[in-house]
Amino acid sequence: MKKADYLTGLALILLSIYVLAESWRMPRLEHLQAHPLSAPGIVPAFLAVVLLIFGLILVGRSVKAGGHRLGLSRKGIRNTLADPGNRRLLLTAVLTVVYAGVLVGRIPYGLATWLFIFVFVAVFEWRRGMSSREWKRLGLAAAILAIIVAVSISYAFERLFLVTLP
Amino acid sequence: MGILIDNLGLFLQAIGGFITPWALFHIAWSTLLGIVIGALPGLTATMGVALITTLTYKLKPDLAILVLMCVYVGAIYGGSRTAILLNIPGTPANAATTLDGFPLAKQGLAGRAMGVATSGSVMGSIIGMFFLATLAPLLGNYALKFQSYEFFWLAIFGIVISGHLTSLDDPIKGWIAGFLGLMTAMVGQEGIHAYERFTYGTTELLGGFALIPAMVGAFGLAEVLSVMRNPPAEMAKNPQDSVIPRLADIMKYKRTIVRSGLIGTVIGIIPGVGEDIGAWVSYAAARRKSKEREKFGKGSIEGLMAAETGNNAVVPGAIIPVLTLAIPGSAPAAVLLAAMFIHGIRPGPMIMVESPLFVYQVVAMVFFATIAILIYGIALTRPLLKVLAIPRTRLMPVVFVLCVIGSYAITSRVFDIWVMIGFGLFGYILREMKYPMAPLVLGIILGDLLDKNMRRGLVLTDGDITPFFTRPICIVLWVITLVSILMTIEPVRHALQRLFQKVWPGRRHSAD
Repeated sequence: MKKADYLTGLALILLSIYVLAESWRMPRLEHLQAHPLSAPGIVPAFLAVVLLIFGLILVGRSVKAGGHRLGLSRKGIRNTLADPGNRRLLLTAVLTVVYAGVLVGRIPYGLATWLFIFVFVAVFEWRRGMSSREWKRLGLAAAILAIIVAVSISYAFERLFLVTLP
Repeated sequence: MGILIDNLGLFLQAIGGFITPWALFHIAWSTLLGIVIGALPGLTATMGVALITTLTYKLKPDLAILVLMCVYVGAIYGGSRTAILLNIPGTPANAATTLDGFPLAKQGLAGRAMGVATSGSVMGSIIGMFFLATLAPLLGNYALKFQSYEFFWLAIFGIVISGHLTSLDDPIKGWIAGFLGLMTAMVGQEGIHAYERFTYGTTELLGGFALIPAMVGAFGLAEVLSVMRNPPAEMAKNPQDSVIPRLADIMKYKRTIVRSGLIGTVIGIIPGVGEDIGAWVSYAAARRKSKEREKFGKGSIEGLMAAETGNNAVVPGAIIPVLTLAIPGSAPAAVLLAAMFIHGIRPGPMIMVESPLFVYQVVAMVFFATIAILIYGIALTRPLLKVLAIPRTRLMPVVFVLCVIGSYAITSRVFDIWVMIGFGLFGYILREMKYPMAPLVLGIILGDLLDKNMRRGLVLTDGDITPFFTRPICIVLWVITLVSILMTIEPVRHALQRLFQKVWPGRRHSAD
C-alpha cells in the first residue's frame, strides 16, 4: 500500500498543480464588472490547494515508510500477471471495455450484446480438458443466455421505454 | 398540536394515495426486485436504485420514487440473506450481519437468523420512518434559515465527516476521495457566470459528468470487476428451521432495537455516511452494552438484531437530508436525489413550503416497503434463496449489459457509456487502494453547492470571511469539522484524551 500511496500522492500533486495553473488562467470577467471573488477559478483553486496538501502528506508519509523504493522487477510483474484472480480481473476489464467502448455504437446493439454475453460466459466457464460434449453444452447455454438477454433488453428499452438504442 | 394533526392528515392522505391496485402492484414487484438485488453479491443497493431509475422514466413522479424507495429498502434487507448463508454481505450494508449471522447458520439456525434479520429490518425501518416523519418537517423549516455561509460549511462538513467515517483506519483517504468528487463537479459550465471550466471545447462536458452514469460505473462496473477477481463463494446449506420472525426476540431485545434504530437514523442523516456504517456502529454499541458480550461474533441474536436494525434505520434517515437540504445521507440516497430531479421534484429547504405532501408520500413509501419486506420475509424466503445459486459467470455479464444500457438510456448519449467506464475503472483502482466511494459521490453532488455558495458568500461580504466563522450554525459546523480533522492527528488526540480524563477522572474511553 505504501508504494501505491506514494504514486497516488505524486499523481495528486501533479493534478493539483495543473488545476491551479488552469484556475489562474480562467478569466476574471472584470470587463463584465463582475466581483473579483466571483471569478470561476476561485473554487477549483481552493480545492486544488486542499488536494495538494493531501498529496504532500501522502508522499511524505509513504517516503517515511520506504514507499518511494518501488522495486519493480520483471519477476514481480510476471507473478502478478500469473495470479488467477488478477487474470480474471484483466480479462473482465478487457471484455467489458471492448463491449461498451468499442462494439456498442459501432455494430447493432443486439448483436454486440449477444457477442459479449456469449464470449464472457464461454471464456470464464471454459475448463482445460473439457470433453467435446461438455464444450457443446457450454456453447449452447452461453448462446441461449446471450439471446435471451440481448432480445429482452433491446425489446424493453426500444419498445417499452422508447429509447433509441446505440 | 394543530400542526401535528395537519401532518398526520397529510400522512394518511399519502397512505390513501398509494392504496390503488396499480401502486400496490409496483410496491410488490419493486420490493421483490430490491430483495433479489440485495441478495445477489455484486449487485448493491446503490446500483439497483441507479439501474431501476432508468426503468422508471415513463412512470408518474410519485410512482417512480415509490418504486425506487421499495428497491432501496428491499435491497438493504435482502443483503442479509447472503450474509447469513454465504458469509459474504449481499450489499456492503450487511457486512456486520455476517459476524453473527453466519455462525448462527453454521449452528443449523439459518432460518432463525433470517427471522431475526426480518424483525430487525422491519423495526429499523419503522424507527427510521418515525424520525423521517417528525424530523424532516422540522429540519425543512430550520433549513430555510441557511444562507451561503451555512451551505458552504455544510458541503465541507459533509465531505469531512463522510470521509472520516467511511475510512476510519485512514481518514485522509476518505477526504481525498471527497475532494476528488468536489473537483469532478467543477467540470462543466459553472453556475454564476456560465463559464465553461475544464471542458476543452467538448459539448458533452458542458453539463459536467452526469451523476447516474458516474455512479453506475463506480458501483456497478467496479463491483463486477472485484466480484470476478475474487474466488467464487461457497453456497451454504439451505435452512431447515423456521424463518418466521419471533415476537419474543423483539421483546427481549427491545432496548437494542431502539438504540440501533436511533443510531441508524442519526448515521443516515449525516451526509454520505450510509447503511454499512450504521450497521457497524449499532453493532459496536450493542456489544458494549450487552450482558452477553462473549456471544458476539459466535452467533449472537442480539448482535445480528443490532446490525440489521441499524442498517435499515439508515434508509429513512438518509432521506431526511435529501428532502430538506438536497444533500444525500447515503450513496443510494444520492441516486434517489438525482432521480427526484429527473422527475421534476425539487427537494431542498423549500420542500415543506412548496410540496409538504411529498414528504409524507415518502414516509408512506417507506411504510409500504416495510410491510412488503415483512410479507416477503415470512412467505418467500425459501424460494428466493434459489437466486443465490446463479453462477457469477452468468450474472456479471448481464449486470454489465444493464450498466451500459442504464447509463446510455438517460440522455441517449454514447458519451455517458464512456463516463461509466471511466468512473468504473478509476473507481475500482481507488477502491483497491482503500479509498471509499461514498465521499466521492457526495463530492460530485456537493460540488455545485460549494462552488456557488463559497463565491456568493465571499462576494456578499466583499472578501471578509468572518461571517463564515461567527454565525451560530456555521460555528457548530466548522467546530465539528475541525475536531474531526484534529482527532486524526495522533499527538492532538492524546492531548484531548488526557484533558478529558482530567476533567472527568472517573471516566475512561472504552476500547471498542
